[in-house]
Amino acid sequence: MGKSNKLLIIDDNEEVLTSLYEYLSQKKYQVISASNGLDGLKLLDAEKGEFDLIITDLVMPNISGVGVISIVKKKYPTIPVIAITGWGEHPEALATEANADIVLEKPFELSELDKLIAGLLSTPKSKI
Amino acid sequence: MKIPLIGVSQSIERIRELIKHVANAGLNVVISGESGVGKEVVAQNLYLNSSRRGKPFVKVNCAALPEGLLESELFGYERGAFTGAERKKRGKFELAHEGVLFLDEIGDMSLPLQAKLLHVLQSGEFAPLGSEKEIKTDTWVIAATNQELEQHIKNGKFREDLYYRLNIIKIYIPPLRNRPEDIPSLLDYYIESYNSQFDTNQLAKPSNRIMEKLMAYHWPGNVRELQNLLRRMMVVGDWEEIVEELSITANPQRSSVPVKPTIESSSIVADILKLQGENSTGSASFSLKKIKKKTLDRVEKEVISYILDQTGWNRSKAAKILKISYKTLLYKITDLNIIHPMNSHDKAD
Repeated sequence: MGKSNKLLIIDDNEEVLTSLYEYLSQKKYQVISASNGLDGLKLLDAEKGEFDLIITDLVMPNISGVGVISIVKKKYPTIPVIAITGWGEHPEALATEANADIVLEKPFELSELDKLIAGLLSTPKSKI
Repeated sequence: MKIPLIGVSQSIERIRELIKHVANAGLNVVISGESGVGKEVVAQNLYLNSSRRGKPFVKVNCAALPEGLLESELFGYERGAFTGAERKKRGKFELAHEGVLFLDEIGDMSLPLQAKLLHVLQSGEFAPLGSEKEIKTDTWVIAATNQELEQHIKNGKFREDLYYRLNIIKIYIPPLRNRPEDIPSLLDYYIESYNSQFDTNQLAKPSNRIMEKLMAYHWPGNVRELQNLLRRMMVVGDWEEIVEELSITANPQRSSVPVKPTIESSSIVADILKLQGENSTGSASFSLKKIKKKTLDRVEKEVISYILDQTGWNRSKAAKILKISYKTLLYKITDLNIIHPMNSHDKAD
């Protein structure tokens, strides 16, 4: 094992971002965060796509979560993406269309998210 | 047609970065901002930075046409689709195939047409009027608006599902008054561009003093107003006169400055006329323009003196209250010959 999994979380709500960051850091993940889609994509490019999983909000300034998912799935197709949303069905349907691996509706239990992350990380990459 | 995105402000830098990251993804975009900020320039830059460059860039203004016409403009019609449809007409969606369809003023589109647009965005297909066959289209839709679409959704004037489908990428261009640091580079660019287009009436660059005034102006018409101002400058040829016309004091945010109670505004006209000499109206130096300038200068002097008085000559505090830059304030103190009351032979520094 040794190396911990690296997660990128993108959310424009600071409270959500902080609580996700703290919770997932405690779970021994290496967590990097961004407060909007553009900054998220910049981080991703700076690290040459070397992330094990991305968690993104859907409704955000500049590049929406749906935009992030579409671009990530084109550029780095092996990285699994979890979309979180609190905004009814429209962006949710769009996130599914954009091939988000999981769409999670707010509010959710952090332990539930943890299970989903573990599930995606244990799936062989070629299957995603 | 290539117009670069001009500006050095953080918001323009950010838009440039955004364009680089999304231009090749072909995702729907909504560009918002006041009239004249350059929404079409951003749309063209997206197109030119994408792999669709060289394919058609088709523009439709949704506010310029009545609903029925806009529909046939977008989707086209078959021969005989309605009285007068003598020939088949190809719609903009067909013309923009593999390229970009720029939908300006999307906030003015009617609800029935919004439903049809949503259908094309979801399915990638549309049917021309009078046709039963759907045509496949691969069109990158970039929409623009100067309205608050979120407000339109609340009022039932804009479909929420269409809003989310279009707003995959959101680009907001702030008004020029919020990014005055872009004004010098915009002026440089357009002066050079107009000078290379026209041999006569070469435009001169404004002096630093004029530039400060231009940067303090609130530009309600944004970049378009700046272009118009330069076109006028080509005719007038005098920056002083052009800047005077801008009436810098017209900024509504600045109009509530408290005025020293001792100003007797009724006597201003008489005083100014007196300054011009007894039979001033007959003299060659008499002009409305000069009177306007003198009056403005005098009012400015009174107001600035009053504020300096109130702040105990704390110039940075005074600049903040007056909502002008510190530099502009120092300039005005010298230019209007405002003297520190405690030290009347001290030069304003």
